[in-house]
Amino acid sequence: MTKHSLKRLTLSAALLLSTALAAEAATFRWAATTDPQTMDPHAVNAAPVTSFLNNIYEGLVRRGRDMAIEPSLATAWEPLTGGETGWRFTLRKGVKYQDGADFTADDVLFSYERASSEASDVRSWFAPVASVRVVDDYTIDFITKAPNPLFPDSIANFLILDRGWAEANGAQVPSRDVENFATRNTNGTGPFKLAKRDPGIETRLVPNDGWWDTREDNVTEAIFTPIGNAATGLAALLSGEIDFISPIPLQDAEQVEGRAGFKVLQGLEARVIVLGFGHNKAALSYSDETTGKNPFQDVRVREAVGHAIDVDTINRVVMRGKAAPIDQLQPAGLSGYSNVNTARPEFNIDTAKAALADAGYPNGFSFGLMCTNDRYINDEAVCRAAASMLAKVGLNAKLTAMPVRGYWDELRGGNYDMYLLGWSPGTFDAEHPIRFLAATPNGNLGTWNFGGYSNARVDELLPLIQSEVDLVKRQAMLDEVAAILKDEVAYVPLYTEPLIWAMKENVTVTQRPDNFFMLRWVTVQ
Amino acid sequence: MAYFILKRLIQSVFVMLAVAFLAFALFRFVGDPISQMTGVETTIADQERLREELGLNDPFLVQFARFSGKMLVGDFGFSYRTRQPIGEMLLSRIPATLELGTVALLISLLVGIPAGVYTALRPRGAVTQAILISTLVGVSIPTFVIGIFLIFLFGVQLGWLPTFGRGGTVQFGWWRSSLFTVDGWRALVLPALTLGVYQLTLTMRLVRAEMMEVMRTDFIRFATARGLPMRALHYRHALGNTMIPVITIIGLQFGGVIAFSIVTESVFQWPGMGLLFLESIRFVDIPVMGVYLVVIAFFFVLINLVVDLLYLAIDPRLRVKEAA
Repeated sequence: MTKHSLKRLTLSAALLLSTALAAEAATFRWAATTDPQTMDPHAVNAAPVTSFLNNIYEGLVRRGRDMAIEPSLATAWEPLTGGETGWRFTLRKGVKYQDGADFTADDVLFSYERASSEASDVRSWFAPVASVRVVDDYTIDFITKAPNPLFPDSIANFLILDRGWAEANGAQVPSRDVENFATRNTNGTGPFKLAKRDPGIETRLVPNDGWWDTREDNVTEAIFTPIGNAATGLAALLSGEIDFISPIPLQDAEQVEGRAGFKVLQGLEARVIVLGFGHNKAALSYSDETTGKNPFQDVRVREAVGHAIDVDTINRVVMRGKAAPIDQLQPAGLSGYSNVNTARPEFNIDTAKAALADAGYPNGFSFGLMCTNDRYINDEAVCRAAASMLAKVGLNAKLTAMPVRGYWDELRGGNYDMYLLGWSPGTFDAEHPIRFLAATPNGNLGTWNFGGYSNARVDELLPLIQSEVDLVKRQAMLDEVAAILKDEVAYVPLYTEPLIWAMKENVTVTQRPDNFFMLRWVTVQ
Repeated sequence: MAYFILKRLIQSVFVMLAVAFLAFALFRFVGDPISQMTGVETTIADQERLREELGLNDPFLVQFARFSGKMLVGDFGFSYRTRQPIGEMLLSRIPATLELGTVALLISLLVGIPAGVYTALRPRGAVTQAILISTLVGVSIPTFVIGIFLIFLFGVQLGWLPTFGRGGTVQFGWWRSSLFTVDGWRALVLPALTLGVYQLTLTMRLVRAEMMEVMRTDFIRFATARGLPMRALHYRHALGNTMIPVITIIGLQFGGVIAFSIVTESVFQWPGMGLLFLESIRFVDIPVMGVYLVVIAFFFVLINLVVDLLYLAIDPRLRVKEAA
């Protein structure tokens, strides 16, 4: 796969749509594995919620079919001048909420206060913000603590609520442990509005006739059903009861494609799968013979792991060739991707053995490998494959596969020697994985850096990257970090996960690497 | 009689407390609710604050006492996942499970009893052998395989019946029923069959064994000798005596049907309590899991009570004992 693969897919989907004939209006039924647990856009920062609510609510900016940032409730934005750092957003005029209220700058201020409050789960988006100032009804300033070139991109999922509606219904703050009016009711500015909400069973949306933008879809009613069981979901599609389902298991893709009247849309999700090490562990926890020390602290041992794992074979056999091998902590083609650090460690058992011998482990050693078994696509099988490859150079992994609901607790408790991790860059920029996976953990940074990887230069570069306005200089720093992570084998990046959607032949959709499902691009013929 | 019922209801409180205690003791091993409630970008400090707010840092006994104390006054609390009141969530899911369980039970009785009688009366017939073997196969296959098979045969290949959900429902107050529309019945057939097949086999074999036993007793021989019509002999005297143990077992099994409809509900995306429980496990929604288990324990106690009362009503000998 090339670095353009992500874009190519969305482009081809867009082409399909533009050549589609003028279509009749239609009811559209779709299913996914998880029900959005709330209709409150600030209560839970989880993909099923954010993706669903982007059909109802809108942000100041939004992502287009190619993931590029484009105007939404803001028509323009520019950096602040005159000694202040931050961004000025010019808001769209004439936008109305679904209950008829006008959209103004005050609503943005209210939504900022709501989304950055203690009860909000999305408040980390506003960590760089010092204050927000309403200039007039259609101009608002976000003043940041330091220059922040990517701030507009980082708030694409910051969805705007109406102050009047929220206050009238007692939903000024997001629901935390007890539901409030916004948990099951919505009032957005977006293309669709909530018609019926039956949590966990069915949610119906109807078009918002007063939407400010031009409609590209032809959906008159959209009915969402969560179907947790993969076989049931597939049967529901093949029996014609639903028009679309996402995702479907890799092994079912060919079956769907082989049937008349159905098709599969296949791309890459912006999620990388990596192996992590316990950099800060003084000793292995699960080794039979290697006690009192942690061989993974030696870079040569980590290099050996990289050389021992044949990612192409894992992709071909376990992932059915649908994944894309990766060399960094973000998918190829993403903003900030380092084009000078693209080489993966060569798969070579002899090199791996030599590196191990060099480090003083000619016979290898045993250790504990932790994996999820219900979080990523075929995660347990990938771990099994990796473990058998590592065994060939003498690294005997004792595999523990467990459900994700207890997994992070185990990792935070240090109950691993090596672990599997998947990472989606929330901002779709290379800074994101550095902030969460590579920065030294300190409570705010490096919160998913379970192994406590620490490099002074990376920590020094991160704030500079965050505030650098000059894109060339920024990329140079990102390249430097990528090189450090690669040289030190902070992680062993494996591959980017595939994304497989299945639908009826007469349905046209747009697939984005963030796996958001946008009804405004759905046409049914 | 009133004393008997009251005694059993008081006992049930202790049963539910014991279930809640065991459940809470196990919940710590299910996983971490906080990591399921927050996004990846939430800081450790924010996670800790939420943990503190929800009282998850309290000792196990304190958490258990708080939960049971609230339950005793009828406060079921709120779901970690959806933040809805749990009482309301369960109430909206109970009708689906009860209707599914009842229809499954009816199928098992309406097919199982006649089949049991038939196979008892003609123990060596070819039809009997066919029935016995096919039900044995049916009961040996795991429920989810039967479910998936039925879905792909009747839903996907033949396209006769829906593959998931409840179809058309009618609302009576808080009770949402699928028994009053054709659509609802169409959606009910496959899951009820899947859930009922085990019951059916059990009922049939039980009726068969009991019936064969009764047919050998003296009073049947005497009645045969007197020249009673075979019809009256089989269906009035023999079957009547057969039913006493059958009712007990079926009644007790019904609790199991309600409690273990989880697999069937998952395969058919049937929006009942079992599906809710599965979703709750996935999200480590501790309050919902706790309430669900306690409610199921209550169902068991209630069904046991009803079975005891039925037993009393059917078997005159027990009434005499109770009086004495």
